[in-house]
Amino acid sequence: MPKKYTFHVSGTHCASCKILIEDVLKEQDFVRGVEVDLDNETVEIETESNQNPEEIAAALTAKIKPNGYMLSVEKNIEEKKPDNVIWQALPLGLAFLALFFILQKSGILNFGIGGKTTPATSFIIGLVASVSSCLAVVGGLVLSLSAKISEDDKSDTKTFLLFHGGRLASFALLGGVLGLAGNAIGINFTFTAILGIVASVVMLLLGLHLLGVFSRNKIVLSSGIFQNINSVFRKVEHKTFTPLLIGFGTFFLPCGFTQSMQVVALSSGSFVTGFLIMFAFALGTLPVLLLLSFGSASFAHSKYAPLFFKSAGVIVLGLGIFALLAGLAGLGIISPLFNI
Amino acid sequence: MNKTVLIIITLGLIVVIGIIFSSGQGSGSAQNVEIRDGIQYVTINAKGGYFPKVSTAKAGIPTKLIVKTDGTFDCSAALSVRSAGFQEILPQTGETEIDLGIPKAGEPLEGICGMGMYSFLVNF
Repeated sequence: MPKKYTFHVSGTHCASCKILIEDVLKEQDFVRGVEVDLDNETVEIETESNQNPEEIAAALTAKIKPNGYMLSVEKNIEEKKPDNVIWQALPLGLAFLALFFILQKSGILNFGIGGKTTPATSFIIGLVASVSSCLAVVGGLVLSLSAKISEDDKSDTKTFLLFHGGRLASFALLGGVLGLAGNAIGINFTFTAILGIVASVVMLLLGLHLLGVFSRNKIVLSSGIFQNINSVFRKVEHKTFTPLLIGFGTFFLPCGFTQSMQVVALSSGSFVTGFLIMFAFALGTLPVLLLLSFGSASFAHSKYAPLFFKSAGVIVLGLGIFALLAGLAGLGIISPLFNI
Repeated sequence: MNKTVLIIITLGLIVVIGIIFSSGQGSGSAQNVEIRDGIQYVTINAKGGYFPKVSTAKAGIPTKLIVKTDGTFDCSAALSVRSAGFQEILPQTGETEIDLGIPKAGEPLEGICGMGMYSFLVNF
């Protein structure tokens, strides 16, 4: 006669955790049925084992421990832990932000590259751009989306490759088109500024999500809206087309370096030159962005995941606020608040 | 580490970021305004920001703004001077002349880069 036990589970930070835990536990021969309840952080086990609940919990924990989950009979004292994680994540994220803004302020990044712009110099400009204030928008977006994707999905590599591939291809192609068509695309200030504001709002939402502000039972009143937003993100992220499209969209995100390179491509008057210059520029920005997405993926799958997600949330929020205020100032809606 | 220490570090970092954002404003007016042949020229250097950030010029005479770039690739190359209806990406190296007409007293002119992180002000 199978018996039913309910255990508390810890470490369930994503929707796919439910499936993973159920898959692993179902493989155990003494387990008849598994039902994970993410909202209450409980697992209901139907078992034929005659062991006492503590022993079953220990045996099953051994199976799912490598994935970062734990079962317990009593509600775990873990409750206190998330509280502490945020206090570790705050200084970590803020330290990163402080370093980033000091780097901007230091003027190290303002060295000039004289003479004609060749693919080689545009590669170097790309390298510089990838740690410049452009990182606030493009990097912040990449970090937040990467963390979000890694949180939901263990097979994130394909999504990242699509995003970065799409980015390289669209920079090269659009660069070529700029060279060919001259002023046809017209780099419109207002358009890029609005796009920048949209990007910063996405960053703010994802940042809050990473911090766990939207997580279960915290905001009861507005959770309906946020759940909708979440499910939209979830639907959007995993399609093949979307990472490509976002990669494509980064061409138009506000970044002085990108815009300068677009003008170079524009004035080149040739498809090949425009193509090569924008491709080399995108290639220069690639190392840092790759580091951001694959770095966040490897952290997200390690035991530091909770700390990583919270720190990333702090960083993304900070960059999002910065990008939002800058974007509003760029549109002339508010007066500029700061001079980096 | 213990929570109190972490909170203190957090507060410290917030102060540091605050200092980064608020410092370096209004670094005095340099000798960047000159009058030649009855026309006032205000020169601004654009590279990693705009310098000087705050200038003071005379109102009531025809004024031109000259923005100098020298291997500028960053945001400051994407200049927008709203009140003069100017929005352009400056050449990487060179001088761009923007006609400001005859500015009125008490109406400062603000220039800002495309992403909004660098700006400058000319007081009349």
